Amino acid sequence: MSEPTRQPPVLTIENLAVAYRVRGGEIEAVQDVSFSIHRGESFGLVGESGCGKSTVAWAIVGFLGANGYVKRGAIRFMGRDLVGRSQEELRRLRGAQIAMVYQDPMQALNPSLRIGDQLKEVLTVHRGMSDQEATRRCIEMLERVYMPDPADVMRRYPHQISGGQQQRVVIAMALLTNPALLIMDEPTTALDVTVEAVVLDLIAELRREFDTAILYISHNLGVVARVCNRVGVMYAGELVERAPVREIFQDPRHPYTQGLMRCVPRLGQDKRSAVLYPIPGRVPPPDQRPEGCVFHPRCDHAEERCVAERPGFRPYRAEHMVRCHLAETIDPRAWTPPPDLAFPLPQAPEPNGRTGEIILEVDRLRKYYTAQGNSLRDVLGLTPKRFVQAVQEVSFQVPRGKTLGIVGESGCGKSTLVKTLIGLESATDGRAEFLGFDITVDLSQRPLEVIEELQMVFQNPDSTMNPAYTVGHQIGRPLRRFRKVQTREEEYREVVRLLEAVRLDASYYDRLPRQLSGGEKQRVGIARALASRPELILCDEPVSALDVSVQAAVLNLLLELQQRYGTTMIFIAHDLSVVRFFSDYVAVMYLGQIMEFGPAEAIYAPPYHPYTEALLSAVPIPDPDAHQRHIRLEGNVPSALSPPSGCPFHTRCPRRHLLPDNGAVCAQERPPWREPAEGHRILCHLPLETLQALEPVLEPVASASGAETSAR
Amino acid sequence: MARFILRSLLSTAVTMFLVSLALFLLVEVGSGDITVKILGVFSTPEQRASYRAQLGLDQPWYLRYLDWLVGNDWRAERLVGHPLVTVRNPQSGELEWWAQVAGEQLRWDMEEGQIYELVRQEDGSAMRRPAPETIWREGPEGEAVFWGVDEQNRAAMWIQGKPGVAFILTKAGMRQETDAPHRYIPLRKGLLRGDPGMSLMTGRPVMATLPTRIRNTFVLAGLAFMVVMPLALLFGIVAGVNEGRPLDRTISITSLALTATPEFVTGVFLILILGIWLRVLPPTTVFLSDSDIWNLKLLVLPVLTLTAVELGYVVRMTRASMVEVMNSPYIRTAILKGMPFRRVVFRHAVRNALMAPITVIMLHVNWLVGGIVVVEVVFGFPGLGSYIYDAAIFGDFNAVEAAAMLMVTIAVGTRLVGDVIYTLLNPRIRYS
Amino acid sequence: MAVAQPTVDPARRRPSRLQRLWAGLALVFQSRVGTIGLAMVLFWVVVALISLVWTPYPPNASLFEQNLPPNGTNWLGTDHLGRDLLSRLMTGTQVILLKTRLPNGLVLPIGVAIWGVLGSLVLGTVLGLNAGYRGGWWDQTIMQVLDALIAFPRIVLYLVVIAALGQGDWVVILAITVTGAPGVARLVRSLALDIKTRDFIRAAETRGESPWYIMFVEILPNARGPLIVDAMLRVGYAIFAIGTLGFLGIGLPPPDPDWGSMVNDARRFIYANPLAVVWPSLAIASLVVGLNLFADGLREETTRYQK
Repeated sequence: MSEPTRQPPVLTIENLAVAYRVRGGEIEAVQDVSFSIHRGESFGLVGESGCGKSTVAWAIVGFLGANGYVKRGAIRFMGRDLVGRSQEELRRLRGAQIAMVYQDPMQALNPSLRIGDQLKEVLTVHRGMSDQEATRRCIEMLERVYMPDPADVMRRYPHQISGGQQQRVVIAMALLTNPALLIMDEPTTALDVTVEAVVLDLIAELRREFDTAILYISHNLGVVARVCNRVGVMYAGELVERAPVREIFQDPRHPYTQGLMRCVPRLGQDKRSAVLYPIPGRVPPPDQRPEGCVFHPRCDHAEERCVAERPGFRPYRAEHMVRCHLAETIDPRAWTPPPDLAFPLPQAPEPNGRTGEIILEVDRLRKYYTAQGNSLRDVLGLTPKRFVQAVQEVSFQVPRGKTLGIVGESGCGKSTLVKTLIGLESATDGRAEFLGFDITVDLSQRPLEVIEELQMVFQNPDSTMNPAYTVGHQIGRPLRRFRKVQTREEEYREVVRLLEAVRLDASYYDRLPRQLSGGEKQRVGIARALASRPELILCDEPVSALDVSVQAAVLNLLLELQQRYGTTMIFIAHDLSVVRFFSDYVAVMYLGQIMEFGPAEAIYAPPYHPYTEALLSAVPIPDPDAHQRHIRLEGNVPSALSPPSGCPFHTRCPRRHLLPDNGAVCAQERPPWREPAEGHRILCHLPLETLQALEPVLEPVASASGAETSAR
Repeated sequence: MARFILRSLLSTAVTMFLVSLALFLLVEVGSGDITVKILGVFSTPEQRASYRAQLGLDQPWYLRYLDWLVGNDWRAERLVGHPLVTVRNPQSGELEWWAQVAGEQLRWDMEEGQIYELVRQEDGSAMRRPAPETIWREGPEGEAVFWGVDEQNRAAMWIQGKPGVAFILTKAGMRQETDAPHRYIPLRKGLLRGDPGMSLMTGRPVMATLPTRIRNTFVLAGLAFMVVMPLALLFGIVAGVNEGRPLDRTISITSLALTATPEFVTGVFLILILGIWLRVLPPTTVFLSDSDIWNLKLLVLPVLTLTAVELGYVVRMTRASMVEVMNSPYIRTAILKGMPFRRVVFRHAVRNALMAPITVIMLHVNWLVGGIVVVEVVFGFPGLGSYIYDAAIFGDFNAVEAAAMLMVTIAVGTRLVGDVIYTLLNPRIRYS
Repeated sequence: MAVAQPTVDPARRRPSRLQRLWAGLALVFQSRVGTIGLAMVLFWVVVALISLVWTPYPPNASLFEQNLPPNGTNWLGTDHLGRDLLSRLMTGTQVILLKTRLPNGLVLPIGVAIWGVLGSLVLGTVLGLNAGYRGGWWDQTIMQVLDALIAFPRIVLYLVVIAALGQGDWVVILAITVTGAPGVARLVRSLALDIKTRDFIRAAETRGESPWYIMFVEILPNARGPLIVDAMLRVGYAIFAIGTLGFLGIGLPPPDPDWGSMVNDARRFIYANPLAVVWPSLAIASLVVGLNLFADGLREETTRYQK
């Protein structure tokens, strides 16, 4: 990590406050934010959604919309204050000296202009370059961001390249004029984990080479740990802590920062060895921020002073600022969970031998969709029919009371698999039996008694509930539908009982979804799934759309309910840490196939499938000292329309060269199942011994928390 | 892209089929007994039945639909046993149906139970001679029948020794006539072959009047279109870029008021103000001769009326689209790349913003057609709109159907064009 | 947990329908444009209600000289048959907003324009929900039929329907229903396409709910905002259309006055009494503009509310 240089900082923000005029007053979205970034430095701004991170970025570029303005404070760029400059002056800075990279690259590029035109205009407008010169420079820059075949990409439209490539285009566009300041607003959030890893590497590399100052905005502590050297934590519009990256992670002083560290599972932790502690409550909306310390309603340490007096942003140590009255006295390691967060660890699994009764058995299940071509030949039916092979040959079993986690990147078929199991789609081929019933048919052909035993928890809290009906009505509907209750009175009592089971109370009965927070909506969704007392609950990324501080609460709730009711669960997620934490068994999917299946602990240490290895290596770990071996996948995920022959992973496999002939066999033959242990199987041509000999991606994680003191 | 266009074509074809069927059923079956309207309420049931048969209305609806759509000469040919052709009469200038028999063109007529052949001469007149006895064939009930072409352009069936009785509509009223055929097929080529049949209003083929009317309407609509489009797109873009500012408010409210005011109100107001109070323009468009269509003074008021109504709608569309695009993330990108505002608007926004309105404008052509009907009636403009209005009031079903089908074809055709333009403008479809 | 008889906190009760209606109106008052629109519409509703019990003179009686300009007795003047224009203008609101005359002499409450819009809402909603939610073959067929209907220029369809079925209030209602339904169906379809991707629809499906339940109970309530706005606009179009038909002489049958035919009558005597053409024209334009402004305000505020 580079030391702070003597040069003046590229960007200095002092006591920035940004307000939006709304009907009947104004809202201060950001208050009292101060930080500076030097050349070659990357400053991470982390926080949950709605805490004002992006507003800071918009304020810097002077793009606050018609109703936003900088109320107080200064934004100094290269020594000059940007506040109050004319649009024309700002325009000359934008793109030339301050560049920006956004969250969703597809949205950020103009769909009807060629990529080349969008890149070149930056140079022709700002530098007055000729078209040919600009073209040459753009191709060079695309090469710099490792874009395959850049000259061809220049002629394409944005929708014709993949998401990872689009993000490279946006990054190249930002770097074209060699800006002094690069603002990156969640640049990898929309990307898959392996693609994210490659883009993060690229960002780290460019920072070193271009000597640019980077403002990196993210909600993900792991990502920030990987690319930033200083970090600011934002909460409810304020900067609550600011320190070098290592210090933030090893010696967080603000209770909010400490809470953030406690509520996400580390890769390698599981439900039997660790407990996640959610931060109680929710982030207050900007117009309802409390008096005194903004965090006090959610803080375990809050005293009278915290309610009465707003803490200042004060130095705790050199380079380490914190906004807390009690920063010196709080010891994160001495923290004990308050009683209402106490949560018993699940019992250890029964000793070897009797596993639970198998309640779901899937055997060589397939789901194909017919694909429509668009050329004239396709339309006339001259070309053979093609299929999207969303799920091919998937087999597994789930014992009663256990949790199966399914991981994989987007497009791997995990969602299709779940849709097929729940009956939203009928299977194309194969066998699937649930409690002895055939469930390859879709819902319209399943008997009601199967339907009620198989329920689902959905991903998006904002769409999981019907906005038109009250909470009570929506939980009551499955009760009525499956005839669990006879009278209205009984229904009301049962709904309240379910609400209490998900740690809500009877006052929620008459609320409408828009009156609930994301975490509360997700709880109601869980209560609704529980209403029919199902045997099996399918959870489709139930926490991925939630803020980290409430994720833990929902995960804990699911664990608790599973213990109480003995429910079996299938848990889909793209986050390997969460899956590891939550599941007994894990299936790793790639292009519609299970590449590896086994007990959760077995998946995370060798022997593992080369794809699992790459996934593990890509997971951002919220610890700047974590040693993660560097394995990156090249190329794009092949189309499910024509999956590669042989092993579906062979086109990107970094371990292929370990086989003779550079793995010629991988492209030709379907790999065999390797079984390193009972119940653990790996779909790979590499012999077990080779797989066994692979170096672990991660240091044993158990020591990670212990390492904190030694590094001080 | 091929899929997209092919789909549009197919869908258009199906749409046209459904439209023709619906139109036909609505007009011919739904409208009840047309003969009451033509012959008057004092006509006897026999008279009406005879007249219905002469018009071919005694046939089942699906046969009449087929006749109307693709003609019935091919059906009649099988009965007559000779090819049927249309020949223009050099004296009247109108097309006549004749049967082509061994190098001669023949029609037939019955007089006193005897069939006569009428042989067509070069000058259009006919030479009369008795037909041989060999023409009679055996009919379905054992009687001797003969199918030929009569003098009113109908295929007709006479029965030997059993002359029919018919009531003929003349200027003086109904006249009873003997020696009449028993069945008729009024010969027509069908809509698809460019022959929508006879107009009951004029007693002449619909196609004799329609082309001029179409031409007139095209002049009117074309002028309005040329005025509307550049103005509307300009105002729409200006308003969209200045969203929420006073300029936008003014444009928006004005265009709203324009769209919300019916054409006839706008038209009458314009007549009142420009024609009667200020006396700068003639208040009605009375065409004394066919070339008056180029008299611009007559055209100003109708064009202005059409423009007023159309303008508001297109402005609102364009504005909405522009506002949406201006708030999109890629416009934000362009602004934050430091592009000058003009470049952001013209290079990045306009193209995307115009994609939606173009399809909607094309879809909207049938709205324009609706406006044209009213405007033509208000100003007495002799176009397609006033034609269909007069025909509908009269109950002239052939004319109504022809004009309506034409308007639908224009509407559907422009929509197809709009779809294709959209595909060409949108690279996402073009390259998929 | 021993909750024997949990009771609901009355303060947390959902607001009643009236309260919600009031909340909706309060939303309109936030928008200046919407408020003006509402005022214009309410003005005509009040005029219609007054005309039920009082007009200056009987609207269909020729009591005065013909084609009088506005004066002390006839505030707006008289028409070509010597009838009082103000009385006729006031009564003209009734057939649009307040009453529908059936062929057998019965009179239904609520006017032709509103029945027509209700008809197209019902028909369009059923078609649009089926097309949008079920998709596939249903969608193709329904949209194809609607495309055919849309292909008819509106006025041509009116002309054809009226030429076929004759004049009458119910014919006008039918014509408005048929011409309006495709638009409603398209709107509902696009809303259904959006709403059906939400997870609560998946939740209903995984409960094994029937398609009709999902369409009408789960989807439709969430489409009501845009539908109400659309309905407002459509009442405007319907009044517009009734005026046009009246002007063309094929609209609502006599003897009750309607604005369109008043314009047409006055147009023929435009030299004698130019102002007679102005009053009914202004009436139609103001009512339609009012409805449009009201709908615009409503839409603006509901979308802002969603943000």
